[in-house]
Amino acid sequence: MALRRMRNRAVPAETVPVIPTEVIDGGAIPDNDPLFALLLATGGPVEVDRITITSPALDEIRQQGIQLIVPLISQGELIGTLSLSRRLSEQPYSTDDRKLLAGLAGQVAPAIRVAQLVRQQEAQAKERERIEQELRVAALIQQTLLPKELPQLPGWNIEAYYQSARAVGGDFYDFIPLTEGRIGLVIGDVTDKGVPAALVMATTRSTLRSIATQHDDPGKVLALANESLVPEIPPAMFVTCLYGILNPETGDLVFANAGHNLPYVRSADGVRELRARGMPLGLMPGMVYEVNSAKLDLGETVLLTSDGIVEAHSADGEMFGFDRLMELVGKDQEEEDLISQVLEELRRFRPSDLEQEDDVTMVAIRRASSALESASAFGDEPGLISTFTYPSSSGNERRAMDEVADVVAGLGMNGDRLERLKTAVSETTMNAIEHGNHGDPAKLVGVDVLASTKRILVRIRDQGTAPVPAALIPNLEAKLAGEQGPRGWGLFLIEKMVDVMRTATNDGHHTVELEMSREGD
Amino acid sequence: MPESKIAMTVREPKGDVRIIDIAGELTSFSEPVLAEAYEDADRPGVKTVLLNFSDLDYMNSGGIGLLVTTLIRAQRKSQALGAFGLTDHYRQIFELTRLDEAIGIYDDEQSALKGS
Repeated sequence: MALRRMRNRAVPAETVPVIPTEVIDGGAIPDNDPLFALLLATGGPVEVDRITITSPALDEIRQQGIQLIVPLISQGELIGTLSLSRRLSEQPYSTDDRKLLAGLAGQVAPAIRVAQLVRQQEAQAKERERIEQELRVAALIQQTLLPKELPQLPGWNIEAYYQSARAVGGDFYDFIPLTEGRIGLVIGDVTDKGVPAALVMATTRSTLRSIATQHDDPGKVLALANESLVPEIPPAMFVTCLYGILNPETGDLVFANAGHNLPYVRSADGVRELRARGMPLGLMPGMVYEVNSAKLDLGETVLLTSDGIVEAHSADGEMFGFDRLMELVGKDQEEEDLISQVLEELRRFRPSDLEQEDDVTMVAIRRASSALESASAFGDEPGLISTFTYPSSSGNERRAMDEVADVVAGLGMNGDRLERLKTAVSETTMNAIEHGNHGDPAKLVGVDVLASTKRILVRIRDQGTAPVPAALIPNLEAKLAGEQGPRGWGLFLIEKMVDVMRTATNDGHHTVELEMSREGD
Repeated sequence: MPESKIAMTVREPKGDVRIIDIAGELTSFSEPVLAEAYEDADRPGVKTVLLNFSDLDYMNSGGIGLLVTTLIRAQRKSQALGAFGLTDHYRQIFELTRLDEAIGIYDDEQSALKGS
């Protein structure tokens, strides 16, 4: 007895029900074979010899010596057949035999159908799980490699946004610390999606990182990255990428572009594009990349984007497009948060029930027009406003005090609170010079000023390794009685001058953090 | 030791009072200058020494330590130590360190002389 599978759209051929062991699998009857319709119409056992239609499936069945076909029908669907060859007794099949087989088929068919459906669902669930798993892996690679923290550059506000599409794309951005306080800016997009794109993104990122720290010419960096990526990347894939070197002190940006979207600069006069020609990375060797430079003035913002923005579609199928993005960057000079503005426009443009087609990535780098503006852009989380370093020689505590005072006064702090912070900065710097660095001019004291809308932090760092001692509470009577030395007022004063003082020792540095609230300033 | 950016002069407004005019920075490096000025002020019959901080640019914890040393010296000689011309900020520091309990604090020279 052979169990035939039906090649039926509803039941994939792979979902084979149990096949009796002694007999051969007769193969499937295609649903366009006349036999298929005949069996479905008959509904009961059919003797092969009595069938008169012409059917390729029937020819095959005849060749196999099959005498009787019993269709297995469940809910009006032919899901298989029982095929019987000649009886061992050589007798024809009797009416009773046929009744018995019809009854058997009636009971077996629904059970087989259930088994088929279960198999089918299991297979679908497995496939879904496999796809989900791949998406998770791709997302994980991407999340792991995107910067965890944004660089803190005094006088600059850097913001980044990344939203992956469901099928994670290959967008990436990176900040590479370079010598002399300069920083390498990277934004890129790998063609393709999912794990392959994520892996190429990882390779590109690490390639750029290693080359960028060895060469000062962004065109050379991209050219070398291209040479190294061509043999690494599958032929159908490539990477568009912009690489720029920013000098935060001067605002100079030198850049090269491997076929990536042009950066836009929001300036007082509107918007300008930063153009530089070059082919995407990984396509072919021997590419040369044009290098251009721009200067970002106070209050200007450069916006780096990925395809996900300009290629977003509206409900009518219209594309967001470069013109719309450029116009948006060029207007509304008052608004500082460019990324939020673009996202808002994107939300208006693309209905929320439309699935996001591609990753959306943006990096906005704004040169603050003043310390006050910088601080307000940082919101609740204090960001770096200014940074200073001093050799550990006596007198530099006053320089630190005066320089911090200038910055903090620019943030609106004045009067008694300014005087108190000045005293605390000077005392803390003096401790750093004398105790942390033992007055060795080769050792430096670092002073960072951070601010948010609510707070001002001054971090003073020396190269001491022992923990900062707890403040000894000075006692004037004991000092006057000669029981305590006349000195030792420093830490006591610092604690009294500021709202909060924190100390930390790690990686060969002491850091004392002084905090003042900006309320009342 | 770096040179101290400080100058002190001693005046005699009354027979038993001396005023030390302090101009510049009072830090631990001011010690020899203050010691010399105090020696100059510490004449027989002097009951009060007044420190004039009107031209003070800067004082740190080292300067406070120096004032404690000067206070010890004054108490040994049973002389009163007073101060005037302090900004609000340094007045606050005198209060925090409780130096104001041992050193008489006056708004200006006139009230300092009246009080001594």
